[in-house]
Amino acid sequence: MTSSFPGPAGPLAGADGHPADELLAGYAAGRADGVGIWSLEAHLTGCARCRTTVSGHADSARLARNQSVLLVRIAVPEGGRMRHLLCRCGVPDHLLRLLAATPSLRKSWLLSVAGVLAVVAGEAAAVRYGWVSVGWPAGGLPGHPGAAVLAPFLLVAPLLVLAGVAVAFLPMFDPASRLAVAAPFSGFSLLLIRAVSALATALAPVVAAAFLVPGPGWLPVALLLPTLALCAFALAAATLMEPRAAAVTAGALWALPGLLLAAAHVPLLIVQGNAQLACAAVLCASALVVLIRRDRFDVGWTR
Amino acid sequence: MTVNVSTAAVRADGLSRRYGATAALDGVDLALERGITGLLGPNGAGKTTLLSILATVNEPDAGRVSVFGFDPRDAAERVEIRRRLGYLPQELGYHRHFTVAGFLDYVAILKEITDRRRRAEEVARVLAAVSLEPRARTRIRALSGGMRQRLGIAQALLGTPDLLILDEPTAGLDPEQRLRFRELLSELPADPVIVLSTHQADDIAAICPKVIVLLGGRVRFAGTPAELAATAAGQVWTAAERDPGAHLSWRGGDGRWRHIGDSPPAGAELVASTVEDGYLLLSDAAGAR
Amino acid sequence: MRQCAGEDDDAALLRAVARGEEEALAALYDRHAGWLTVRMTRRCALPDVVDQAVQDTFLALWRGADRYRGGGNVAAFIWGIGIRRLIDAIRRENGARRRLPWRAQEPEVAVSAEDQVLVGIEHGRLGPALAGLSPELRGAIEATVLDGLTCAEAAVLLGVAEGTVKSRCHRARLALRAALAEQHGGSDSAANHIQAWGTS
Repeated sequence: MTSSFPGPAGPLAGADGHPADELLAGYAAGRADGVGIWSLEAHLTGCARCRTTVSGHADSARLARNQSVLLVRIAVPEGGRMRHLLCRCGVPDHLLRLLAATPSLRKSWLLSVAGVLAVVAGEAAAVRYGWVSVGWPAGGLPGHPGAAVLAPFLLVAPLLVLAGVAVAFLPMFDPASRLAVAAPFSGFSLLLIRAVSALATALAPVVAAAFLVPGPGWLPVALLLPTLALCAFALAAATLMEPRAAAVTAGALWALPGLLLAAAHVPLLIVQGNAQLACAAVLCASALVVLIRRDRFDVGWTR
Repeated sequence: MTVNVSTAAVRADGLSRRYGATAALDGVDLALERGITGLLGPNGAGKTTLLSILATVNEPDAGRVSVFGFDPRDAAERVEIRRRLGYLPQELGYHRHFTVAGFLDYVAILKEITDRRRRAEEVARVLAAVSLEPRARTRIRALSGGMRQRLGIAQALLGTPDLLILDEPTAGLDPEQRLRFRELLSELPADPVIVLSTHQADDIAAICPKVIVLLGGRVRFAGTPAELAATAAGQVWTAAERDPGAHLSWRGGDGRWRHIGDSPPAGAELVASTVEDGYLLLSDAAGAR
Repeated sequence: MRQCAGEDDDAALLRAVARGEEEALAALYDRHAGWLTVRMTRRCALPDVVDQAVQDTFLALWRGADRYRGGGNVAAFIWGIGIRRLIDAIRRENGARRRLPWRAQEPEVAVSAEDQVLVGIEHGRLGPALAGLSPELRGAIEATVLDGLTCAEAAVLLGVAEGTVKSRCHRARLALRAALAEQHGGSDSAANHIQAWGTS
């Protein structure tokens, strides 16, 4: 494409091979008067000078406005693969962006969780397989020798999930929490979105580690209900007391029995039979409390 | 100048709030109309508590609030208030790893602007209003204090609120930025109800056509800055030496002493009273200096 | 293709954009957004849709500037992205408005009628023949040939069904062939051009 204006000699080709200014002005104003517009556009593709002329006739306020919106759209991060995947599954884009503010979904947090799990699970495995000799007595249930080594893992794993969920709802981890309260977006919805995604994200490594830890085959499944009950309890407690106190209470309510049972060399009891029933009951009760008192999350906790 | 209470957009009757033994608010009545109202008072006077109650972030122990006819005690009406609200808290925290535009986008979602493109337009609009456009991609942790304050103002402006509550918006702004802030407030579309708090009297004189003085959890004055200045009329004088009979004295930049008191001595050099003088006199009277 | 003086700058700007320099994108916008807006407006009368498409184009440039392999016409590259963003924007607009898409009435995105068209020296003799086509047929030719769109994309742009676009192109080719046969009596290089169009 040459820069001179093609076409048979006529009113279009100027002396220098470029279309006349009036023609370009008319084109820019949308007055496509039907003479050689196709050629004009083809010429524009190759000629910076005429493009500048056309731009000069365009609506500069409109162009400036579009430019500022463009620069904003560039500045808002688009999100990684996970977000695109979830978007494809139909999760609305604005909900995904809300999750971006949750610390327990950030890579650094997840890496720490994985790290702690690795340590705890690794310790259990090391003792069980005799790589390290510690004075653990071979206690536990019949059929599950050496279950005592699972004590640290059973103690820590659900607490890690609780920590992730707590970070999702504790105001101290949301620096702009007062803005969130003062905004019309439902505080309860925000909480649910964050808590559920934190739960799901933290459960995955925990369940995976439960498979790897030397223990009974039903361990990964048995961990689910207590973990869910623990997190639900923390949320329910947050409607009744200060959120930090709620998280700590929930953690203590798991840690104390866990430690006691570990001291008695029967740590697995915490995930068996009666304990599972108790967890189910706690889960249902907590869910009910959260639903009934969900307004608490809309009002916030002001000092 | 009084505000017609029955038609006021924002009303509070008998608000009280205690924290432990201290009464942060003690029977506060106020009525706000469209336009800018300044809330003047020292730190600890209850300004932040009052503003947080108006912003539905806090609940009073006693008293009623009505914002555009909505009562924040009802959940559904509370949401309606929040839809019309822009709030800048006193110490606004930011997710430091967010970019400026990312943070504003986040707040815009909280303000229920779900369409991505509309959000981008809104964010662009408020960024232009506070002159932070070149910083759209900067991370918040890299911003100066003044820029962060402007960002806080920008997020309050998202969604063109009808009620703008700004807690110490001029803190951390240099004089040129304060000027820009005043222009910004005067150019806002939709003529909202604006209430801003400050402990500096010259902010009031420069920005606010109406002022409420809050001392010790109570409203001590409500009117125009001129009326506030007039309360100290005839009670301000200067002298070369300090006068022990004055309630308040301080030395000005020119070396002369400025005095505020009930009865200036005969022959004293009276000067025109300023907003600050009126405010100081009120503070002194309230014993809350 | 002889490059204009601005061409090298554009290529350099694109490389800078690929490196993540926002100022380069702003400069590219200053140079190209004007004519892009005008050219899009000629194909779509809705200013909001055009605004979205212009933003989307530069957003795509921001993300995919490295796809420009250099040595090509930057404006053509931008138009290639732009016309497709315009199609997407129209699709979204149609989806959002939930209008019945295939009504063959006056399309919203009208191409202006032209009474005479010149496409360049080598196509000079086609000019009168093209002018003899009805606006709908010319629009179909412009979308598929000039803008290089597929029939599906052209259908979105013109606001008609894909089948309609195909049949209009077919009728246009027949009409042109007939007109040229009248003009020049017999086979023609121009007729070969029409033949070439038929493969698109």
